[in-house]
Amino acid sequence: MNLSNYFKPSRFWLLLKMELIRSRKGFLITFVVTFGLLFTGFILENIFSSSKVFDSHTGSYTFFLLTGGFILSSLAFSDLGNPLRRYSYLALPASTFEKFMSMWLLTCIGWILMFTVTFIIYALIANSAGHFFFRDVTFRAFNPLENATMIALGYYILFQAIFLVGAVHFRGFVFPKTIFMLMLFGMICGFIFYLIMADIIHTADQCPPGYNPFEEKSLKQFWQVVSRFGTWILAPLCWVIAYTGLKELEV
Amino acid sequence: MIKIEDLSFSYNQKQTLFNELSLTLPSGNIYGLLGKNGAGKTTLLKIICGLLFPKHGKLKVMEMEPKDRYPQFLSEIFLIPEEFNLPSLSMEYFVRLYSPFYPRFNHSLLNDCIYEFRLPRDQKLSAMSYGQKKNFLLSFGLATDCRLLLLDEPTNGLDIPSKSQFRKIVANAVNEERSFIISTHQVRDMQNLIDPIIILDEGKIIFYQDHEQISKKLYLFRQTEIPEERDVLYYESSLGGYTVVKENIDHMESRLNLEILFNAVVNNRLKMNEIFKS
Repeated sequence: MNLSNYFKPSRFWLLLKMELIRSRKGFLITFVVTFGLLFTGFILENIFSSSKVFDSHTGSYTFFLLTGGFILSSLAFSDLGNPLRRYSYLALPASTFEKFMSMWLLTCIGWILMFTVTFIIYALIANSAGHFFFRDVTFRAFNPLENATMIALGYYILFQAIFLVGAVHFRGFVFPKTIFMLMLFGMICGFIFYLIMADIIHTADQCPPGYNPFEEKSLKQFWQVVSRFGTWILAPLCWVIAYTGLKELEV
Repeated sequence: MIKIEDLSFSYNQKQTLFNELSLTLPSGNIYGLLGKNGAGKTTLLKIICGLLFPKHGKLKVMEMEPKDRYPQFLSEIFLIPEEFNLPSLSMEYFVRLYSPFYPRFNHSLLNDCIYEFRLPRDQKLSAMSYGQKKNFLLSFGLATDCRLLLLDEPTNGLDIPSKSQFRKIVANAVNEERSFIISTHQVRDMQNLIDPIIILDEGKIIFYQDHEQISKKLYLFRQTEIPEERDVLYYESSLGGYTVVKENIDHMESRLNLEILFNAVVNNRLKMNEIFKS
């Protein structure tokens, strides 16, 4: 097996550079829209809120990291959506693995790093401006290393993989199509879950106070399996599906 | 260079385009791939460069399987489709981004071709005319120094000077290591460029001969009266008479007319087969 047929660092770097240059407008628009909305939200919240403490940075970070990242991931492999551009993308002398990795790196790790760095700068600017304009409000600093931020990053890596699958498999309107498929999948899973677990699921009036259905032994075990699958298997599975889809793609 | 054995391909389950197609193409030639609309010329080019996958059969291009789309394979093959999309980049920037993927990229050859085609260097690629874009792609393809260039209707949309420039550049670019496959309807543009001629009809190779064999076996001539059906392979009326195709029994010399040849092959397939088998 010739390894250079799959991965060559110099070629990968070329591809990454090319993708970054080609998608610079998409990145820029996503950033401008995201941070434009953040600033607008920040100002409106401080004008209309009666709270003396502003503590929304972590929430905003999570929301925009996920939303912006999912939209950006849906725009990955955009060449595949156009029949005329698809052939030149597939015929570009780089391996399928490199093509997949470059997109994953840009939309997952690249987005996380760029968004986090920019958000830190935004939070500093917003807090300084807030101190100046709203003197009676205390502005909490944004801590990128706090637990809630780390959980958001974990969820982003997990769900971003699903949007990458959508980017490879759907032609056009990737974001709404992926959301629709996720909802459909969720409904089917919920229905199956209900069919299996109907006997131990209680209605609200049957539940004693403080009752947590996930404490039930059988449900707890089931939930642990689902949770582990979601945490450790879902993202790699989606990466494999996206890679295979790209490899098997024809014009 | 290209070895196809019993290849089958279909776009859907109902209709098979190629069924057990076999073809061997050695390197060092400018192959002309002719056929009616829907004969499968573009599909065959896409299969050869790994953009479509055969359903059955074997296909080796430069000892590699196109389906794998390995970088080493992709850097040795360049397809110029009939319709294409170039990014909104300047020529210089495009070359800077894409040329490093081709290990033997020849910048001076690219400059020569750009000069020959009189392409505007300062314009964005997306703002160029269709013909200019096509000439740029051809220049880039030649500069990659790849071993196989696949051109789908290359002269469509080219003006008269560009067509002759195209013929000149392609004729100079072929060598023992490199081949061209040109799929075209514009046979007159390619008359003196393509050799051998491959004719594809209803998903089958019905004709694959070089100029020498064609001249040896067929005799094309003009006459004023309607030819007698006997011994005539094909004839069609032309200005002031008829162009006739006959078997070249008397070893006469004649000038090849690709359009007439194509019609003769398509309309008299069995007889043609007999003549070229003997």
